[in-house]
Amino acid sequence: MINRKYLGILLALLFIGCSDLEEVPLGQLSPDGLINSPEDVQTLINGSIGNMATEAYWGRKLSLSIMLRSDMVSIGDQGTPGRRQDVDRFSMTSDNGMVTALWPRAYQVIAGTNEALAAVATLDAPAEQIDPIAGQAHFFRAYTYYHLVRLFEDIPYLDTPVENIDDAKSISKTPAEQVYANIIADLERAKEMLPNTQQVRSLPSKATAAGFLASVHLTLGDFQNAYNEAKFVIDGEADFNLGLATDFQELFDHSKQAGLNEFLLSLDFNGFSEGDDGRDYTPALTGIRANERGDIGGGWSVAVPTINVYNSWDGRDYRKAVSLDTTGIFGGEELFFDRFPEFDSRNIQSAYIAKYTRAIGPTGTGNGRASSLNYALMRYAEVLLIAAEALNEISPGSGEAAAYVNRVRARARAGNGSDFPADVTGGMSQVEFRDMVLEERKWELAFEFKRWYDIKRRQLGPEVFGPGSLEPQPNFDPSRDYLFPLPFDELDRNPNLGPNNPGY
Amino acid sequence: MCESRITKRIRNSLFCVSFLTVSLVFGQQREISGTVVSNADGLVIPGVNVIEKGTTNGTSTDFDGNYSITVSDDNAILVFSFIGFLSKELAITANGQVNVRLEEDISSLDEVVVVGYGTSKKSDITGSVSSVKSEELSAFPVLTAEQSLQGRAAGVAVQSNNGGEPGAPISISIRGNTSIGACSAALVVVDCFVGGTLPQPADIESIEILKDASATAIYGSRGANGVILVTTKKGRRGKMTVEVNSSYSSQNVSERIELLNASQFAAYRQAINPAYEQGPAETDWQDLIYTTGSISNHQLSFSGGSEKINYYVSGNYFNQEGVVINSDFERFSFLSNIDVQATDKLKLGFNAFANVGNRDGIQSQASSGGSGGGDVISTAYRFAPDTPVQDANGINTTNPVGDQFDNPFAIATESVDETKTDDYRANFYADYQIISGLSFKTTFGYGTTNSTRGRFLPSTLIGQASNQGGIASIESLKRKDILSENYLTYKKEIGKGNLTVLLGYSYQKTRTETFGAAAQNFISNSLSYFNLGAGSDIQTPFSELVEREIISQFGRINYEYDDRYLFTFTARRDGSSNFSRNNKYSFFPSGAIGWRISNEKFLQDNKTISNLKLRASYGLTGNPAISPYQSLASFQRIYSNVGDQPVNAVVPEQLANPDLKWETSYQTNIGLDIGFLENRIALTLDYYNIDTEDLILGDSSAPEYIGFANLTSLRNIGEINNKGFEITLNTQNIVSENFTWSTDFNWSRNRNEVVKLVDGQDIFLDSSPGSFLQDETHVLREGEPVGVFWGYEYRGVNQGAPDPGTAGFAETGPGDELFTDIDGDGVITGADRKIIGDPNPDWIAGLNNNFRYKDFDLNIFFQASVGGDIFSYTFLELASGESNATPEVLNAWTPTNTNTNIPSAAVREKRITDRFVYDGGYVRLKNLALGYTLPTEIVSKIGLQSIRLSLSGQNLLTFTDFPGTDPEASYQSQGNLNSNVNRGFDYGSYPNIRSYTISLNLKF
Repeated sequence: MINRKYLGILLALLFIGCSDLEEVPLGQLSPDGLINSPEDVQTLINGSIGNMATEAYWGRKLSLSIMLRSDMVSIGDQGTPGRRQDVDRFSMTSDNGMVTALWPRAYQVIAGTNEALAAVATLDAPAEQIDPIAGQAHFFRAYTYYHLVRLFEDIPYLDTPVENIDDAKSISKTPAEQVYANIIADLERAKEMLPNTQQVRSLPSKATAAGFLASVHLTLGDFQNAYNEAKFVIDGEADFNLGLATDFQELFDHSKQAGLNEFLLSLDFNGFSEGDDGRDYTPALTGIRANERGDIGGGWSVAVPTINVYNSWDGRDYRKAVSLDTTGIFGGEELFFDRFPEFDSRNIQSAYIAKYTRAIGPTGTGNGRASSLNYALMRYAEVLLIAAEALNEISPGSGEAAAYVNRVRARARAGNGSDFPADVTGGMSQVEFRDMVLEERKWELAFEFKRWYDIKRRQLGPEVFGPGSLEPQPNFDPSRDYLFPLPFDELDRNPNLGPNNPGY
Repeated sequence: MCESRITKRIRNSLFCVSFLTVSLVFGQQREISGTVVSNADGLVIPGVNVIEKGTTNGTSTDFDGNYSITVSDDNAILVFSFIGFLSKELAITANGQVNVRLEEDISSLDEVVVVGYGTSKKSDITGSVSSVKSEELSAFPVLTAEQSLQGRAAGVAVQSNNGGEPGAPISISIRGNTSIGACSAALVVVDCFVGGTLPQPADIESIEILKDASATAIYGSRGANGVILVTTKKGRRGKMTVEVNSSYSSQNVSERIELLNASQFAAYRQAINPAYEQGPAETDWQDLIYTTGSISNHQLSFSGGSEKINYYVSGNYFNQEGVVINSDFERFSFLSNIDVQATDKLKLGFNAFANVGNRDGIQSQASSGGSGGGDVISTAYRFAPDTPVQDANGINTTNPVGDQFDNPFAIATESVDETKTDDYRANFYADYQIISGLSFKTTFGYGTTNSTRGRFLPSTLIGQASNQGGIASIESLKRKDILSENYLTYKKEIGKGNLTVLLGYSYQKTRTETFGAAAQNFISNSLSYFNLGAGSDIQTPFSELVEREIISQFGRINYEYDDRYLFTFTARRDGSSNFSRNNKYSFFPSGAIGWRISNEKFLQDNKTISNLKLRASYGLTGNPAISPYQSLASFQRIYSNVGDQPVNAVVPEQLANPDLKWETSYQTNIGLDIGFLENRIALTLDYYNIDTEDLILGDSSAPEYIGFANLTSLRNIGEINNKGFEITLNTQNIVSENFTWSTDFNWSRNRNEVVKLVDGQDIFLDSSPGSFLQDETHVLREGEPVGVFWGYEYRGVNQGAPDPGTAGFAETGPGDELFTDIDGDGVITGADRKIIGDPNPDWIAGLNNNFRYKDFDLNIFFQASVGGDIFSYTFLELASGESNATPEVLNAWTPTNTNTNIPSAAVREKRITDRFVYDGGYVRLKNLALGYTLPTEIVSKIGLQSIRLSLSGQNLLTFTDFPGTDPEASYQSQGNLNSNVNRGFDYGSYPNIRSYTISLNLKF
């Protein structure tokens, strides 16, 4: 009898569970209940910023692509992977590794902003707390789509978080005009919501939103609105705490950047990276191989201006000295660039880009990677040049437009006390002025990832890649090459995105 | 129930002991005495029946194996018999001393084998189970018992991910890999503890390998990859036995790669770059990093028992000095097994295990990421031979050509990489007989693993750490594992039938905590990783908690009728926390039948066929496949810097996946056991077919614009098939008093085929070192085996114009490589690739021969793997023009040397071509051992039970066409996905090691 009782207890023990098997993901970042306040939303925006500062985006894939695509930068090391050479030589195919890497990352930046705006909608907090955060989300979404629409034109456009993959799988491309309209709407919302200034320039302010609105309108040829937005920034210069740096070199000196008020928006690197997160490769890509300067193990000689850039740039221009390195140090000896290939056959006889190697501070890893340099995504000088360019289109010959250019030129002259570049004087035709501003942008913003977009918006291809140009590229085809191909595998995943851009 | 065979035998034997007194009337009475020992291990056997043949006169041996018997006939013959041993008849001798060595009856049908949650007579097994014996496991010194399973059982493939590197991870796959993305390693159960660490080989009594669903379904969702059941040694009733096992091995690298010397190298470089100047040195880097290694292995064990208590206690010290300088492994391990018969009905037991290991290594093989150059073996091949270790200023050199990386000598002598692992496990059981035939067993086990890995790269390593000012990191892992199992076993004889029913419940919880920290830029290189705070550049620390719970019910019914018909039904229901919300519980049934044809009337008396059994089983087993939290929605932390300050930042990672479930294998097994001539020839044949469905594959069909960091959502979509055939043949070729010869042979072939992938699309994979800048090296394709190589077909050198059907890459010229132009467009592009090799072997085999002549024994063990291809990244890299090279470049194409297959000396992209695919088949003499057991008479004079000395050699011979250092290469095979699909890759693999071993075994 006793045995039978024990048996019953034992049998009961056998089949009684002691857990519901639900997972308690302690230490895991579960979305449930994570975002409860505007500060929490900021972590999502910070995530988008972090996603931009990665190898797949501004660390290399996007930044290098738009640099190589221009006439100011070409390939040094001929053994560098073909995907880079194809961007430079207009021989891209739809499986180009630069595009397939930057595409998903751009949309991850956007997904973070969509998640942030969706979270904002659930918060019960006063507008003065929410707006400065929501404005950032609107801004970064617009900023990211602005790159995409210029690279690809018609693109898939999402402005809410994806909750069901099957639904999101079959959407069609949104026409570029609509994307631009959405970008403008986002930037206008951001301009309303954001404060005049931010504690740090890596977060957008009202002026940042207006500056990019000016840029977007300029790209669309809406010169009146471009001028208006640029003028809004210029008129508010003091309120927005903006101005030009005294010494052009300081813009590219990590130790000076924090004290400047020229950046409307900066993407920050601080010599620290986690893998490819927080790591910029531009110093390595633009550096001279085997160069002992800076003791960073030299660079990789990938993105190098042709010798024509050096030859055509007026030697009196202080900005040339800041932007280009003509010497390297080899075996302890400083040598001119005609000797570079002797020390590594992958170097070429040309001046190298200096903006990202000369004063980049502590680096996280070899060859200058994970530098301490902050990258200006927009400088006040560009706002001045936008204002000048736009005003020339709506009312040519104005002294106001010339004055904007002259502010930029005066700062350049102050660098070395030379009389070059001289002030713009009256009497230029609209066309001459237009060409002059574009040239001014080329030198002032050299290697700052702007030139390709200028070539595209002004359709300068046949001219700047033609014979006798800085970088002759016989393969350039204006019917194809103003756009990048959409990644082929993305078209496979969603055939509704087809057809690909013309020629791909 | 995880009770050893030996214990069982002894217990059974006690019932057989009979004390017979016979009065003798006729003839002169003679007193005969002696000792009975086991031939296998020289241990005395208590309880052996000793009978004068043809009489009822008999006795049995005492606890010391001694007997004495009085016989009346001068020509009397004594018969010695004991369960599990072959009976032996010996004539009495004039001096009255008859010592006996009994041969173990290895093919004994009454042998008891361990199965899940119980034991079974071997003759009653309906599933496919292989046993590996203790002497096979400890035939030669190995670091872990996993290694000693290689070649020992049909269908069991043992693969180290880096050859003979001390402490390199080892994977065991049974009947092929049943998964693609999830773990395909067999489940290890040590003394009933699911997921235990294997003890060192000398402590293992037996290993049973459960291979088909009938045997493994009792382990449910964790059974799909087969189960390895390990039983450690227990004490035997009798006087205490003290055993000392000591061995010392001297180890050497048996193969090196032939490379250019300094002047050849300089000439080769000058052919590529005329400006190259020969360096000042003549350095053989392989000479610098290789040394004579050794293994010292010492074990001391005490075992014995009384009527109520048995004990086995052992301690082991293992020390390996690797053949690469500064790579050592040291380990202490302890095992204690105590079993107590507390009352007639209650049996208690306690099992404790400790393992304290210290791996003091260096990185011998390159990891996947980065630019390479952190390891010593591939760099020893690549590094320029005209460069010294240090330059004139005493600075460590870096490679003067190609990528800049540190020289291997500097890496080996200056970098630090230590892993200290402590493993403890305690397991308690109580077995209570409730009523006759019904018993209840409860086990409670607790295991813990603590592991710390510390690494330091000093700033004197120019390529790796000088920019950072030195790099130090420390990582720590703590795992706790609690297991409680309770089950009832009911046995009942019903007429001619025997019924056994098992019903049980199990709960297991595993908790793993990890954390780590790192810093850079140190004040001094003398701090190693013991003062992270002294680095000015602190890296992001990490910590993580992973918990997993499993609740299971399981049951089994065995029914045997008339010793002829066998039926087994098994089922397990597993609930697991890591399963997704909508699929928390899984169910795995299996059934099997067996027919002992030899017990049918028509065969019963057949002298030739002593055993014939047909087995068939079908069932479902699972692979949990889902990692904890993998089915939940998540954000991911990302490094972000705002205003030059790190800030909190998250990005959307993935959506929840509430329907994800385990992978299921549908397994069929048909087997035949045949014994001839009293089972002196025992043959086992098995055919199996395993269809694994619901394989979890990453579905990348979601467009990337959805914006999640994790773009592949997991779906139960794939299917894979493994089918194969296994032969096990054990023969007693010669059995005589002075000479015995036995052979164990196993052979197996496995064919695997990818049956279904997401939308039928190929999955391209890359296992190459990061510096190779590859995208695709192998492929998963429906209808093909797993892991076939993917690349270009090499067609020789361009002599000016490509041959028809061939082409080069754009801008090809004389001396460049030509490949088959598959799409015929006149230029080689990615579209001209195809499958260029299959790493899966056609068959694997093991052949073990044991000879004994008087007191000498000889073991010859061959192991083979035939028909698999190897892709060598090593040779690809050495032909790329950016490193040292093999002497084949001396015959490179030049305008004056055109009759060659070797392209001109040039820097070329490292492309995957069949030029670097080799036949990876090999036959290896794994062990050759000669032993001598000192005669008992001599030994007993010095108070010992036995002394055995042996000399052996491991890996003495390898027959292979593979030109690299070891055909057992398996680069990038650690981790789940890797171990399934990255097969047959070689890159800077640890070379094959030849060992000479001297061992001494003493018993007191």
